[in-house]
Amino acid sequence: MKLALLQQANSNKLKMRARHKGLLTLLLALVVQLSFAQEKTVTGTVTDQDGLPLPGVNILVQGTTNGTQTDFDGNYSIEASEGDELLFTYIGQADMAETVGASDTVNVQMQEDAQALDEVVVTALGIKREKQALGYATTEVQSDQVNTAKETNFINSLSGKVAGLDIKKSNTLGGSSNIILRGYTSITGNNQPLFVVDGTPISNDNTNSSSEVGQDTGRGGYDYGNAAMDINPEDIESINVLKGAAASNLYGNRAANGVIIITTKTGKRNKGLGVTINSGVNIANYDKDTFPVYQKEYGAGYGPYYSGPGGYFYEQDVDGDGVDDLTTVFTEDATFGAPFDPNLLVYQWDAFYPESPTYLQATPWVGAKNGPEQVFNTGYTLNTSVSVSAGGETGSFRLGYTNLDQTGIIPNGQLKRHTVDFNGSQDLSEKLTVGVKATFTKQDGKGRSGTGYDGRNIMQGFRQWNQANVDFAQQEDAYFATGRNVTWNYSGDPLTEDGRNPIFFNNPYFVLFENYQNDTRNRLFGNVNLNYEVNDWLNILGRASIDTYAELREGRLAVGSIEVPQYTRFNNSYQETNFDLLFNYDFDLTEKLSLDGVLGATTRKQRIENILATTTGGLVVPKFYALSNTLDPLTPPAENLFNRKDYGFFANASFGYDRLIYLDLSGRYDISSTLPEDNNGFFYPAISTSFVFSQLINADWLTFGKLRANYAEVGNSTDPYRTIDTYFSPTNFTVPFFSVSGQKNNNNLVNELTKSYEVGLEMSFAQKRLGFDVAYYKTETTDQIFPVAVSRATGFSTTVVNSGQVDNKGIEASLFVSPIKTEEFEWTVNATWAKNKNEVVSLFTNVATGEEVTNLQTGSVQGGITINATVGQPYGTIQGSNFTFLNGERVIDPDTGFFVVDDSQQVIGDINPEWKGGLTNTLRYKDLSLSFLIDVQKGGDVFSLDTWYGYATGIYDVTAGLNELGNPKRDPVSEGGGVLLEGVNPDGSTNTTRGSMEDFFNALGYQRTPNAAHVYDASYVKLREVTLSYKFPDRLTKNLPINNITLSAVGRNLWIIDKNTPYTDPEAGLSSGNIQGNQSGAFPSQKEYGFNLRFDF
Amino acid sequence: MAFSFSCSDFGDINVDPKSATAVPAETLFANATKNLADQMTSTSVNSNIFRLFAQTWTTTTYVDEPNYNLTTRDQPGTFWDTFYRDILKDLDETRKILMSTDDATILPAVRNNQFALIDILEVYSYHVLVDVFADVPYSQALDPDNVLPAYDDDAATYASIIAQLDQAIASISDGEESFGEFDLIYGGDMAAWVRFANSLKLRLAVRIASVDAGKAATMATQAVAGGVFSSNADNASFQYLASAPNTNPVWVALVQSGRQDFIPANTFVDVTNELEDPRRTAFFDDNLDDGVYAGGLYGQNSPYADYTHLGDVFNQPDTPGILLDYSEVEFLLAEASELGLIGTPADAEAHYNNAVTASFEFYGVAGVEAYLSKPEVAYATAAPTWQEKIAVQKWLSLFNRGFEAWVTYRKYGFPELTIAPVSMLPVPRRYTYPQDEPTVNGGSYSAGSSAIGGDELDSRVFWDVE
Repeated sequence: MKLALLQQANSNKLKMRARHKGLLTLLLALVVQLSFAQEKTVTGTVTDQDGLPLPGVNILVQGTTNGTQTDFDGNYSIEASEGDELLFTYIGQADMAETVGASDTVNVQMQEDAQALDEVVVTALGIKREKQALGYATTEVQSDQVNTAKETNFINSLSGKVAGLDIKKSNTLGGSSNIILRGYTSITGNNQPLFVVDGTPISNDNTNSSSEVGQDTGRGGYDYGNAAMDINPEDIESINVLKGAAASNLYGNRAANGVIIITTKTGKRNKGLGVTINSGVNIANYDKDTFPVYQKEYGAGYGPYYSGPGGYFYEQDVDGDGVDDLTTVFTEDATFGAPFDPNLLVYQWDAFYPESPTYLQATPWVGAKNGPEQVFNTGYTLNTSVSVSAGGETGSFRLGYTNLDQTGIIPNGQLKRHTVDFNGSQDLSEKLTVGVKATFTKQDGKGRSGTGYDGRNIMQGFRQWNQANVDFAQQEDAYFATGRNVTWNYSGDPLTEDGRNPIFFNNPYFVLFENYQNDTRNRLFGNVNLNYEVNDWLNILGRASIDTYAELREGRLAVGSIEVPQYTRFNNSYQETNFDLLFNYDFDLTEKLSLDGVLGATTRKQRIENILATTTGGLVVPKFYALSNTLDPLTPPAENLFNRKDYGFFANASFGYDRLIYLDLSGRYDISSTLPEDNNGFFYPAISTSFVFSQLINADWLTFGKLRANYAEVGNSTDPYRTIDTYFSPTNFTVPFFSVSGQKNNNNLVNELTKSYEVGLEMSFAQKRLGFDVAYYKTETTDQIFPVAVSRATGFSTTVVNSGQVDNKGIEASLFVSPIKTEEFEWTVNATWAKNKNEVVSLFTNVATGEEVTNLQTGSVQGGITINATVGQPYGTIQGSNFTFLNGERVIDPDTGFFVVDDSQQVIGDINPEWKGGLTNTLRYKDLSLSFLIDVQKGGDVFSLDTWYGYATGIYDVTAGLNELGNPKRDPVSEGGGVLLEGVNPDGSTNTTRGSMEDFFNALGYQRTPNAAHVYDASYVKLREVTLSYKFPDRLTKNLPINNITLSAVGRNLWIIDKNTPYTDPEAGLSSGNIQGNQSGAFPSQKEYGFNLRFDF
Repeated sequence: MAFSFSCSDFGDINVDPKSATAVPAETLFANATKNLADQMTSTSVNSNIFRLFAQTWTTTTYVDEPNYNLTTRDQPGTFWDTFYRDILKDLDETRKILMSTDDATILPAVRNNQFALIDILEVYSYHVLVDVFADVPYSQALDPDNVLPAYDDDAATYASIIAQLDQAIASISDGEESFGEFDLIYGGDMAAWVRFANSLKLRLAVRIASVDAGKAATMATQAVAGGVFSSNADNASFQYLASAPNTNPVWVALVQSGRQDFIPANTFVDVTNELEDPRRTAFFDDNLDDGVYAGGLYGQNSPYADYTHLGDVFNQPDTPGILLDYSEVEFLLAEASELGLIGTPADAEAHYNNAVTASFEFYGVAGVEAYLSKPEVAYATAAPTWQEKIAVQKWLSLFNRGFEAWVTYRKYGFPELTIAPVSMLPVPRRYTYPQDEPTVNGGSYSAGSSAIGGDELDSRVFWDVE
């Protein structure tokens, strides 16, 4: 067995194995041929042991850089001279050499190579291992899976493709994706996996909560995405997901949640110059299925509280004739007003600004022709990449540039990203190789959508507070005609300028074009590595990695807004350096017994520094955004500086016996600056084994079979500054202020520990036409270090504890089958399925009383909802008010027809899905292939603040229309109106009382329902991805300067086949992080369609 | 594997360079004072909705709060958190720092004065917490090692803080300094603090008169002997600044927010209209026709434009916040006289007149003599019982001080307030406990709740006897 390091060229044979098969291979850059005299054109067909043509076989004239590949029909053509030796290589097949004779035809039948059958995968620390030797689960995803139907955040492309990986995307422009591998393990800490790009650990931080207070709890702010989204899908060669602790043990404490290893494309040795161009365009439209359906029968008002007919209008003499006229109840942001009546003339908001075409005109009282959906545009994304790669005998490189230009579906929203990626290696001597990997990205965002319960999130109004009579096309015209905040929601007498100031809602276009934000992030990550081959069994790798970025975020609230005008800037810089030294060894102890492994050490240094400054009290000069424009003296900005340093020492030994059985032992010792100085080191081991039983069974039907098992521990330290108590400084008054920090730190911390075991079975049959991989795992995370929310009667909000256990157990399965495989037509199916069960086993002990704490709150969101970890429950229960139940039925008050609400905090939902699955079908006919992915989630709950408020304000269709008697719901109950809620009266009899739907205090809204009435099942079935690709046959491109032309039509998130969340995408959330299961001003999902063209020359 | 490795090179790397680890004690005291003033002054729908409980004010469009909905916004949680974490903890830390600082240049008398100031604000804070919630954590509070602090009996907490207040008053040295300019209430004037402490003692005495008249009498007598407020110049008030973010929180809610949430309630305005109370010109805006005042319908949707708005003084950023004032002291003296705690019921009228006069003076309104001579106002004729006479006038003078106005209603049942029209609930007798107490301190919460007869809006604080 061989072992090698990333970016290290060991032997030709290994490089060949490292290559990927199938379509990808065909798409790789083609060689520019160097031709010589006396050559002739040799042609032929390469077939496998069954006589079927083999596409993508590499053919090289030995001793030259002259090479080619077979086409889809297994045919090739190459310039060679008589006597030259042609080397045929293909993964899973034994290498073959044929000498060119007098004939111009060389046909070859390759034989399956049991030795080479298994793939080589990248494991922890960039170590390449043969997959069959691994005693743990990894899933590899190839580049075409993420860069054909591209997402701006490539992580979203993994949804449904990796068993055990739970991805929840946000629908906002450039927003973050929450990534959970095998369930939540940490109670309040980071649950996101580690990202490693070509050996460089990459920050995946989301700083949403530090720049905007409480963005993740729905209290406003922008979602700036998770930092791993800077990885450019175009540069990805493969992604390997290491799932368990055994797989990630060598990475140490930060890999406790698993690792996503990304290998980027590189130049190939002996390949000559290749240029690849890729260009794609995507268009996006909002998905109507994830947006409110508005009622269109009634207009503005909270109920019959005003003067005017029915108590639904304000009265004012607008035209000066001495008689009061009807005006809209401008101040009200609800829609329990008068029924629409085209014969009724009302002075509406558009009658009061002088530039209006209907200035001082009363207009018919009708529903808006253009509702809030007016605001959505077609978004588009342009993605262009150029890459150059070349390889000689002693070195190779690839240089890629990608330009992403995205225009959001919301006006003024824009995201631009430039990525330059370089990957190269050069032999300095026979033994010494230097490699350089560097990626530079520059991302500029503007007009991101606000999130949560905040005026900068236009969805807050659209989903919760609105007037059905407001035409948003007219709002658009009003803003563009005036440049002012001409709102529908006047605060007072509309004939006065002051009275036309907005009261609760700005004109949404003013929000988008004046109160917009912008941000920029410049980032560099990569490494320099030196590899020295001491002898044939030992090599030494030294690697220095860096990930550094600087970002600036600026926010605005313009003069004229409801809010206090404001300018905010957040400067953040991140820097992490890692130095690794690895000794890799590889012996054959006996003919059958091999030993290989690694000894090494690593240091990590991280520094995060940020400063958040905001003007105070308002802005002096409109449209001038600088801190100096503050109205009142500037309050001191909030500064943060986080430093940490970690050392790790690790060793690993892997024994292999006759390619039949493998045993792998690893251990790591970490020292972390974040733990108390006298006790900051900790050790953790891992053991794994695999048994390739197919070696013992000689049967045609069985291609491969392996049983694997492992036990592993991963230790973890914590965040900086949790051992020493500090003070914070509130804004000064006439004297300076200090205050005790809300968090009580702990100077007795010890490391966290995750223990896991896993067993798995991997089998394939009938020459890999069918196969599966199943795993069962259990993890226990103990001694967790986390700030726990405590009773504020302690004088603190949180106290840092070092306790608690969360268990996860689950089953993961993946299956592939190709029911049809002929020369011309091939159908393959890939399926993934994973179920994770999570349980909080213990929390912590109250020091003073020895009592066990059985519940802790990990988040509190608007509407009275909390997210909790409760002993005996899954992590992430949603608690809030509930229905009162009698024999399992909801109890209804017979006097009112409303639910009887139980206000005590009860478990009313669980954020964890029961299971997730994905099904990919790929159909190939000759050069045309069609692939589609169906992504499924079963279970998981989400609370909607949108229907909580929106049902009360009468926005949604369910609040109007007819009831079961055929009467208008909004009629008084005494006249047959209202809705009949399903349930029983306290005496057990079926409810027969209809609840009122007359006003704000109706039977469906938040005043009359428990939180539980607005908790929805987040299950879904989605047609996630469709790709139709056509590769132009070589015979068509032979005479063109370009070749390997592939044209694809792609679609993403095209159809939500099934869901249970009304008016919204069950996946929509606020931000990545631990506070999930909450929707507040949710964005609709977007259907994307696009084209992609790729070619080489 | 054995590694020998020195870890000492981490140095101070795990010490937060942007947060202080040691600070001057007085900065914490000053911060606690401002938080206390903010919390008592605020009209935020997220924390202090006592003006609504007292029905002096109401809201225009969003009427959850005047209908006593405490679950949607968890006002009790914010109120409780602010008191324990942002006021009491900082006071406690001030004391701890002073006790651990051995500075020979500071006279023991000054130290004692500083401790006394801490004590007085602690007493003030705990009595508010008890008055608002009934049983609350006290003996086990403020201890991070005990994250499940038990709730103490409300009467016992009162007894304990009364003793603390006595001890504080006794330890004050008039002529010596304390926190100087860091004393944001009296700027280091210890004689003023003695008057404040005695006035607070008088307030507590009147509170407990319903359950322990003997003790109340002793306290009231001592307080008056020690000297209580004798003019508005003595008021315990907090001077806000004109610029953000150090403005009066009422200005933030009424003006800076641009919202139109609060207006005087009809329950209040109707009474002032009947009495033709001259303070209407200060309390209210004349946005309707001159001399026409219409209060918002309590607890119902009341369009802002249709009703009387709040007066000018509430729309200023630097209007002071009040912790205790002279008018209240005179009302307390009137109550104490009627209750027989000090003097005799015959003394009540003078105090009543002084109290009303102090209120007029505070608001800068003339015509108090004529007002006091109206039969509906004059002490002899105003109402059949002294409780009603005093309660109504005290409530009028507490227009902008919701907490004390609500307490007055709870004590005397006057003036008559309305059932909240949407929820159909009567005026709450307390705040329910914070929403997260059952989840973070479940056992103590359950025990505390059952001790007071359930965590309900209508459970009563010990002095609130039916």
